[in-house]
Amino acid sequence: MILYDFDYERPASLEQASADLRRLGKGARLAAGGTALYPSMRVENDCPTTVVSVGALTPTAPVRQSDGSIRIDALMRLAALERSELIRDALPMLAEAAGVVAGAQIRHMATLGGNLCQDTRCLYLNQKHDYQFKSPCYKRGGDLCFPYPNNTPDTCWSVYMSDTAPALIALNAGVEILGEGGLRRASLESLYTGSGLSPIGLASDDIVRAIVVPAAGGGFGWGYRKSARRGGMEFGISVMAVALSADEGMQTCSSARIVIGAIREAPIRATQAEQVLSAAPLDEATIARAAAAAAGEIRPLPHHGFTKSYIRDDLRVKIRRVLQEAADRALGSAAQFGRSARGLS
Amino acid sequence: MEPLSYVGKSVRRKDGPDKVTGRAVYSQDVKLPGTLVGRILRSPHPHARIVRIDASRARQLPGVKAVITVDDTKGIKHGFVETPRYPPDQEVLARDRVRFVGEEIAAVAAVDQVIAQRAIDLIDVEYELLPAVFDPFEAMKPDAPEIHPTLPNVRSETALSNIAGRTATGWGDVDEGFAQADYVREDRFESHLRTHGYLEPQATLAHWEDDKLNVWTSSMGTFVKRAKLAKVLDLPYSAVRIHKTYVGGTFGGKIDLYSHEYCAARLSMITGRPVRMVATREEIFSAYRHGQPLVMEIKTGVRKDGIIVAQQVRAINNAGAYRGSGVVVIFLAWGFTMLPYRIPNLAYEGLSVYTNYPLRAPQRGHGCPQIRFAIESQLDRIAEDLGIDPVTIRLRNARKPWEELPNGDNVHEAGLIDCIKLAAEKSGFLARHGQGRRQTSTIRRGIGMGVSSYFGGSLIYPNGSGVIVKMADDGSATVLTGAIDVGQGAETVIAQIVAEELYLPIEDVRIISSDTDTTPQDIGAWISGMTYVTGNAARQAAGNARTKLLQVAAEKFGCEIEALETRDKIVRNRANPDQQLTYREVIALSIATRRGDTVIGEGFWRTMRDEPTHPSLATTKGRWSENYAFSCQVAEVEVDTETGEARVLKAWTVHDCGFAVNPALVKGQVDGQVSMALGHAFLEEILTKDGYTLNPSWLDYRMPTVHEMASSDDAEIVTEQYTVGKSYRVKEVGEGLVSGVLAAIANAIYDATGVRMQSTPFTPEKLLRGLRQLERKGRPGRQDRDAEKDADEPAAATLD
Amino acid sequence: MNDESMPLATRSATRRSQVVAICVNDEWHEVTVRPRHMLVEVLREAIGLTGTKDGCEQGACGACTVLIDGTPALSCMTVALECDGKQVRTVEGLAQGGQVSPIQQAFLDQGAIQCGFCTPGMLMSITSLLERNPRPSVPEIKKALEGNLCRCTGYNAIVDAVLQASGQGVQPIMK
Repeated sequence: MILYDFDYERPASLEQASADLRRLGKGARLAAGGTALYPSMRVENDCPTTVVSVGALTPTAPVRQSDGSIRIDALMRLAALERSELIRDALPMLAEAAGVVAGAQIRHMATLGGNLCQDTRCLYLNQKHDYQFKSPCYKRGGDLCFPYPNNTPDTCWSVYMSDTAPALIALNAGVEILGEGGLRRASLESLYTGSGLSPIGLASDDIVRAIVVPAAGGGFGWGYRKSARRGGMEFGISVMAVALSADEGMQTCSSARIVIGAIREAPIRATQAEQVLSAAPLDEATIARAAAAAAGEIRPLPHHGFTKSYIRDDLRVKIRRVLQEAADRALGSAAQFGRSARGLS
Repeated sequence: MEPLSYVGKSVRRKDGPDKVTGRAVYSQDVKLPGTLVGRILRSPHPHARIVRIDASRARQLPGVKAVITVDDTKGIKHGFVETPRYPPDQEVLARDRVRFVGEEIAAVAAVDQVIAQRAIDLIDVEYELLPAVFDPFEAMKPDAPEIHPTLPNVRSETALSNIAGRTATGWGDVDEGFAQADYVREDRFESHLRTHGYLEPQATLAHWEDDKLNVWTSSMGTFVKRAKLAKVLDLPYSAVRIHKTYVGGTFGGKIDLYSHEYCAARLSMITGRPVRMVATREEIFSAYRHGQPLVMEIKTGVRKDGIIVAQQVRAINNAGAYRGSGVVVIFLAWGFTMLPYRIPNLAYEGLSVYTNYPLRAPQRGHGCPQIRFAIESQLDRIAEDLGIDPVTIRLRNARKPWEELPNGDNVHEAGLIDCIKLAAEKSGFLARHGQGRRQTSTIRRGIGMGVSSYFGGSLIYPNGSGVIVKMADDGSATVLTGAIDVGQGAETVIAQIVAEELYLPIEDVRIISSDTDTTPQDIGAWISGMTYVTGNAARQAAGNARTKLLQVAAEKFGCEIEALETRDKIVRNRANPDQQLTYREVIALSIATRRGDTVIGEGFWRTMRDEPTHPSLATTKGRWSENYAFSCQVAEVEVDTETGEARVLKAWTVHDCGFAVNPALVKGQVDGQVSMALGHAFLEEILTKDGYTLNPSWLDYRMPTVHEMASSDDAEIVTEQYTVGKSYRVKEVGEGLVSGVLAAIANAIYDATGVRMQSTPFTPEKLLRGLRQLERKGRPGRQDRDAEKDADEPAAATLD
Repeated sequence: MNDESMPLATRSATRRSQVVAICVNDEWHEVTVRPRHMLVEVLREAIGLTGTKDGCEQGACGACTVLIDGTPALSCMTVALECDGKQVRTVEGLAQGGQVSPIQQAFLDQGAIQCGFCTPGMLMSITSLLERNPRPSVPEIKKALEGNLCRCTGYNAIVDAVLQASGQGVQPIMK
């Protein structure tokens, strides 16, 4: 339970919510599904004086826009994303990513926007501090770091764990942001600062209103894998999302975006692995080289009890499998994927 | 023999309807007007002197009704065991020193949660930090920080530091035995820190009113709680009533007295109002008690046919900051070593070592999983080195029925040999074993076997169970039993036995249980003795009531009791069937003609009725149990050799529980223990650093979810039988079946990959490391002895 | 829920209290809540329905699962204020007219209950699943229940209960 009293506002629109956040200033926080904010308030990592709740607002359904892009209301629940016919047809990687977040109940409560704007995590941080780790760490406004005592105050190695962000970044998604200056657009990727202290580059009155995913071209293939110990209720050991395009005539890769989440303060692009694939034939040898490059170029932070070397070893094997899936799909040999195989209702 | 109506049948749970409708009242569900919220101030340091406590600001906070520290207690100590050798060593609140992170220092009662938390924050404590020690081998060194002085008795046996307890025993001559052996090997195994994970938090409501303390608390035995709580409060038992509540899982973690129970009671006595204390899940993970991590050093000598000649075992327990149950686990580790196989020469030493962690509690199997994992792993290695298959080596060593154990106990109808044979047959063991490492795919399957044995019922306070069966004048029965249902189905099993003995429909049997005022004393749900001890007491009580009914009828009919038969609540003279009376009529007659005898049956039972007390924890001398259950379990695992990930596909359990009173309840116990074993094997680990818990939540302590469910096959070897009117022997099923699966998993991993696990958990990291070493040596089958040492990380996790 | 003494520290907080109307198991309740009060506390304390359990306060165990407007939710993380005007169903509302629902009956028949603490949350997650998908496959069942921890049963009997309740050929094992 949350052990202090706070004010609660229920604005009638996102515009109103943004205005409320502006008016209330630093002491206000936005809540949508609440599945990130309330646990954080319970352990007193966040202690807003006012919660501005948009959870009751009804999201608009996802639409295919005239340029072929898919626009998704940020307030859409992850369970609805997972089940949406349009998303499963047009953005199956996003449907899959939404479907592996946490557990069923949380997916019904949590929103896509909230999942993308979640704070970074660290075992020391994400627990109550009544008698354990009482002195606040840098991220909590204090003057030390428990896991890395040699870190300076501007460095926090908490890790960004979102399952949906890597998929959307791989898909080159953009976001619509409501803020002081009205509406603006940015790439989703640019939202992530890479700083554990302040991982989301938004002002306190900014609200992500929508996520827009551009239409994929021909020869598109995707692969996604959340590596985890158990089949559910997990944060990833790493989260791998690959989006490829194959130049079908030549069976080579015309573009590749490889995004790894849950290993650093922000999702990272495996640019060297992308380079290996660029203009290369999408065969086993290339895929093996790209996987090796990805495993070699990442500098994972240990997190949630997993060591750096294990995260790397685990990724080295799984990214190859994910790349293969993406290549297979891109080359049109994706017979085994689709609605029936995932067994979703 | 006439067929049984209830015993042996999968009767639906008596408490099922309450539980599926939400009517079941657990400790947190009891409501009393004016209830205050209690919270505890806990130590932020693993080891420190308390220089000063100032609770004045907390006491002055509006809404705070009471604050207590150790100065408000009677200073009476308690302990998991209380013997001359191991006197009680724990106070309910810290006096002068704190010895683990989370140790209880003070408690408050306030009108709501927010004020209670603020009050805790307002208690000023000045600490002087002391050096702390976390590793038992470090703690035993002469220059280690002293957590407690070693007691004189124990100090005379060993010069090591921080020894909370020691067990030493043996027989024969191990040096001679090793000299005679054809093959000797030594191995070291480590088990890690893992925890019970019960869904219901620790929760207590205490209400002191009219000089009587009423308590509702989540526990494994209301009579044990009453005794301990009364003792530390310095109250007579008659002033303390532990009420019946449903209990949401325990697995060993809710026996023994907890500080919050004392604090809720004491705060209620001071304020005159009910006080509720519920531990947060974080408190449970970081400040409450986990299972014992054991290091086992095992040296075994065998003949070339695999028959054990000598064994030398040393078990080191990381006990935590107080004695707790650590002194018992080092006794039990001996027991679980010597039970399943004959060991002509044995030398055993167990050491329980203080460290600056929360003290431990028994966890389902209480050392058996750790021990059997070690011994069964080593036995498989011996078998392989000698060219003997795992089934044969076990059959050769397995105890046979009616063997006398070295401690004077007897194994009675031990079904171990049949268990091994049937488990091997059902799993197709011999055909599948050894195939794993021949597979060329990166996904490999392996099969492994684990043998175990467990005891059912031993002597520890309160030592005996009583049951009362009172007939209602409509012929139905109410059973008063102190037994507590923690999920295992105690109420159902007792109802089945009473219904059987009284020839009643089970719907006519009501159970009133686990209330220290209204029900007879009971041993509690923590030594796997309910079905044997309380069950026989219930049988006797029901039989006693039946005898009274029959006597009244016999008198009326003018015949012998033996001429009577009972069916459907009617007593009939077999020789003259016109003579019949309903139970209702018999009871009315009893009241009319026997000075108002309302027909109450009484029964009581105790294990080992001629033994004065439990065996010596120090020397193991003395009778331990008269019910030993044996089991053989097989696990099939699948390993992805590229990632090191492994999972259990299927587990086969064959056990000789005697006979199953309720087969579906037995199956439930087996399924649950398979799940706990695979959690222990692959998923669960309490991560600590410098005495702090890093993952005090279910998000980061990974218990099996439904995705990890393994297929579980369960079969019984029936070695006993139930006859109405006769006492019966039955063995346990609730604890001993984690161990064989854990051992089987370790052996199955080896079968699949050639990687030998020397420590739990069997993480992908360890598997990958082991696989790499095999690759480097270029030998896909066998593994070097030296290479194993690198295969595992130490049991305590470190972030690199 | 009611401050029996009115300490200064919280006096200003009462202006944050609001009255909400929540329909629980087809009965309307008016309760006074503050923003920090989660639905689980309101159900268990103010409304007196203790069937819904609080296992961890942090949404990691599923014991607090209820249905809100037909959707499964973790009541330990649901702000009670947001439930104003909503239909909440708890375990106490599953039985109708004295008859337990098929899934409750199946739990009894399959031995899917041991300690019973996970049972209410499980039943609500399953009820929601079966309302959306009357004949779920085992993978679908697992997906729907992955947020509900059980420590006693190993889940085998629970999955069998769902298969029995959805008429997929699993026979009762307890009578």
